[in-house]
Amino acid sequence: MLVLRESYFIYVRNLKTWLAQPWMIVAAVLSSAFMFLFFGEPLRGITALPGFPADDYQAFLAAMVIVMAVVFSGSDMAMVLLTDMMSGYVDKLLLSPVNRFSILLGTLLIGGTRAMAQVLAIILVATAIGVRFEGGVLGILGVIVATTLLGVAMGCVGLIVAMRTRSVQVTVNSWLLFMPLAFLTSAFMPRDLLTGWFQVAVGLNPIEYIMVAVRAVIIEGWVWDSILPGIWILLATTAVLVGAATYEYRRATN
Amino acid sequence: MTNGPAVLVEGLGKTYPGGVRAVDGISFEVARGEFFGFLGPNGAGKTTTIKILATLLPKSEGHVEVAGLDVTRDPKAVRQAIGVALQEVGLDDLSKGRDFLELQGLLYGLTRAKARDRAAVLLELVGLSSVADRRVGSYSGGMRRRIDLAGALMHNPGVLFLDEPTTGLDPQSRIAVWEHLEELNAQGVTIFLTTQHMDEADRLCRRLAIIDHGRLVAEGSPAELKAGVGGDIVHVAFDSDTSADGSLDVALAAVRDLPGVRQADIAEGGLTATVGDSGAAAPAIMGAFQDANLSIANLSITRPSLDEVFLQHTGRQIRDSDADGDAEDRMWSQWMGVNRR
Repeated sequence: MLVLRESYFIYVRNLKTWLAQPWMIVAAVLSSAFMFLFFGEPLRGITALPGFPADDYQAFLAAMVIVMAVVFSGSDMAMVLLTDMMSGYVDKLLLSPVNRFSILLGTLLIGGTRAMAQVLAIILVATAIGVRFEGGVLGILGVIVATTLLGVAMGCVGLIVAMRTRSVQVTVNSWLLFMPLAFLTSAFMPRDLLTGWFQVAVGLNPIEYIMVAVRAVIIEGWVWDSILPGIWILLATTAVLVGAATYEYRRATN
Repeated sequence: MTNGPAVLVEGLGKTYPGGVRAVDGISFEVARGEFFGFLGPNGAGKTTTIKILATLLPKSEGHVEVAGLDVTRDPKAVRQAIGVALQEVGLDDLSKGRDFLELQGLLYGLTRAKARDRAAVLLELVGLSSVADRRVGSYSGGMRRRIDLAGALMHNPGVLFLDEPTTGLDPQSRIAVWEHLEELNAQGVTIFLTTQHMDEADRLCRRLAIIDHGRLVAEGSPAELKAGVGGDIVHVAFDSDTSADGSLDVALAAVRDLPGVRQADIAEGGLTATVGDSGAAAPAIMGAFQDANLSIANLSITRPSLDEVFLQHTGRQIRDSDADGDAEDRMWSQWMGVNRR
């Protein structure tokens, strides 16, 4: 219980820190809107391809915009943590008698919150440009829950990068690490229509299955054959990454 | 708090992973309620030691107890018992001053209401009430030191660790901080302070240790350490008409026989004596002159400063940081002055 209380205090602090930088939030929402604009408009004609699963390309693209935003939030979390490490604020927290795990939890939860807020904003943008969610309100809620979890998982990757390298140079560029995760996917085109090594690589990327599940909920509704693998992989990925981040965090704070 | 001294260090050593030996087997004790100064040049092992005492860094060997608790076995209880303001351990720039303090309180187990009250009291005490709702990132150097000090005091710790608390402050702000620390010490708080300012150590600390190359090279009260340099110099000037007869030789012989007088000579119309403790020796010397029926025109005492102590033990002058205070610091100290009187 005490851990939850402490984590909550640290979480609120992290939330205030995030809200104190409104431009971060505006930029995140704008970048998602740009995705619809700069990819959705020129590629609109793809829907005419035989075997393309959606009539509205923006609806097809929505899953990519959502998942990509969340994947890249891991890079933001790396920078958030590194800033606190460099200012010495992490040490300040470590000097206090709180449980070490509370500090980690308060940090991971903010990763989830940021992802959730961003997904919510994207869904609003998508709705505004006419995307229909076949999965309905429950589908939207499901997508939000799933991507919040993914936000926690990606935050773990960011955390590990920041703690391992303790380097601004590496951390600022850690989006490079997330780029293949986000782009080696069926982001623009269904996997059946991809070819060669790219198709193989996409099949090996766990993020692909999560994206497929999110997209199924948006363009088809509750098609469990597409959704379930995504859920299992999301849970497994999150468990592994939270475990790795906890291990790394223990190592760093002895 | 449990029994035992505030700080107990036995054979403490620290070797960093790269192989650097930062602390090389030091031992010392700080009694409860003591104001203890830890001096040393840059890179001597000061900050490493204070970080080990504050549980931020694991030791390589030795035994360390703080507030009667083993720092390795019971770090959480140690953290609860102490307040820490380290030079490079940071503030939360995007947080408001008041929020920063309240969170500190909550993290040390205060209730929300208590944290709020305590933050208000401390903000008033360190003169930051008027900027409490501004972000810490907008504070001047002096204001940052003060909010950090307030943060360390939120949970009323029995032992306070301060790493160079006045470096970068202008003279008036320094004095205001000193007065505040003296007040805390008078209330029974043990203070462990590192500093590069010899005047600060001299004024505040009842006992000092000097560390150099990871080893303790001297330990004692400021007076003892200064006495160790070679003693105080007492100079007695006498009236010119009394200097002719043999009573002068009588007085000189008497002074040389006094305990604590190491050397005494007649020179330049007066007597110059090197003594261990001028407080005890000066009245005795005056007594010897009275016994010899000589009248004294003037008596002066010159003391070696801690700078000489430091030089003697480390072979170099301590680097004096430039005091780069600003207008706000001065305003604060004025405010403190108004508030105190």
